Amino acid sequence: MADPRAPRAPFAPWDRRELPGRFSVEESAKRVGHYKWIEMRLFEVLGGWVATVPELDVKMRLGTHCYHHAWHAELWHKRLPELREMNPERLTVPANDELVAFVDAMTEPEAPDRTIEKLTGVYRVLIPHKIAAYTFHLNNTSTITDAPTIRSLKFALADEFEDWRDGEMMLQSLITTPEEVERAGAHQTRLAQLMLAAGGIAGHGSIGADADPAAGNGAASTAEAAS
Amino acid sequence: MKRQLPVEELARDERFVRVDTVERLSDPRSPRGRRGREGGGEKPPRGGRRITPDMPHGPDAARGMMHGIFVGEIQALEGAGRTCWDFDAGPADDQVPFELKLDMARQCWDEARHVEISCKLNEHMGTGIGEFSESTILYEAACNPDPVLRLTGVNRALEGLAIDVFNTMREFGMAGGDPVLEFCEDWMLADEVTHVKMGSDWLRRLTAKDPDRRTRALEFQRVVDKLFSYGGLRGDDDDSLVRLARRFRELAGFEPDELDEIGALSREAADERRAAMDRQRSRLAERAS
Repeated sequence: MADPRAPRAPFAPWDRRELPGRFSVEESAKRVGHYKWIEMRLFEVLGGWVATVPELDVKMRLGTHCYHHAWHAELWHKRLPELREMNPERLTVPANDELVAFVDAMTEPEAPDRTIEKLTGVYRVLIPHKIAAYTFHLNNTSTITDAPTIRSLKFALADEFEDWRDGEMMLQSLITTPEEVERAGAHQTRLAQLMLAAGGIAGHGSIGADADPAAGNGAASTAEAAS
Repeated sequence: MKRQLPVEELARDERFVRVDTVERLSDPRSPRGRRGREGGGEKPPRGGRRITPDMPHGPDAARGMMHGIFVGEIQALEGAGRTCWDFDAGPADDQVPFELKLDMARQCWDEARHVEISCKLNEHMGTGIGEFSESTILYEAACNPDPVLRLTGVNRALEGLAIDVFNTMREFGMAGGDPVLEFCEDWMLADEVTHVKMGSDWLRRLTAKDPDRRTRALEFQRVVDKLFSYGGLRGDDDDSLVRLARRFRELAGFEPDELDEIGALSREAADERRAAMDRQRSRLAERAS
């Protein structure tokens, strides 16, 4: 048995965590506020859509996924004061007006024959962008100082991957004709263009270097500027 | 998507058959429907008859009740989901606290599981989706534009009824030696106690400084509770078709005097129903003579 009084390194050889991270406290809080805003919009619309979709299996999955995103919103809400934002509502805002336009378009389908559009917006556009932004944050923030955010990101990502798979499988089972492929594709293209203008769920810089088209070529993203 | 989805717009596939409550209760496979069809005979007790597995039509009646639970859970899921969408988070009277929205989202997940469980139990009992009809009275309680009244209608009246119904079905499973039914109903019962407690807690918090609003909410609950007694079929009497589950309701925050009041409302509704039936019989007798 090893001598319990022998000095050991504070970090084991397999522990490769490092201090430096891309985000300051303020930048991390700002992103977390954007995450909470988008998670709220998502759980609200999933809850609202439950009554409007006739497909029983979809109805039940939306009810389940509604809670996943509400829980993520709660995680981010609780993280904000830990990032020195004592009024979480102040940072619970969309990244920009373009993201609001995206959410408006995503939540617009209502009729019972538009389940394909509802699912396409969430599972083929929004959730992939959430996975991208969360992964970028996870891989770029300080693994020591921002460990609580990392823990929440990992919980959220586990749900996002599961929900994305559920949603994609529901879509594949609903899309049964070439016309429906066109329908889903057209809606996806429209929403993806709106998301492109928004720059992602945390705005330009959601996944790193990304010039804001409105600011001209080469403009640094907020994330870049903060790093 | 608009806010406040009217009941007519609830989306269903083609298997579902929507009828009003009177039509649903007149289904000849239900205890009341059978009495209506067979006519005459022994006058039923005030609260109808409790379903037992050894009754000649007991299994059919239980299948009907299970299908009713299934469609009721769909509507409860839809009601909780609409509360997530219909109200913004905020302090105004037409808004709700962020935490209440989170609770409603949690309730969505719970109700979605209940729909799943009910589907499996229907299959277990030999019932197909749509074999019995659906009335939308439960969702109607979830349409109130005032969030406090909606919360009271859904989380105190509707979910309270769910406690009574699940307990009735759990006891039916115990009496019939059906451990699957007993097991599932017991789990759903635990969730419903949580939902009613949630409703009781939020009602207290949201109306702490507004006694008038609390009075209005409780009055709305009384109206809904009377409707949900289905003419006294849900009541506090020993042989009520669906018996008020006092112990579980107390766990969920109901005071004993509130339960007495629900029992009294059910008896009142039963008396009104019997009086209406007597008048109907007299009219028919007059026409026949």
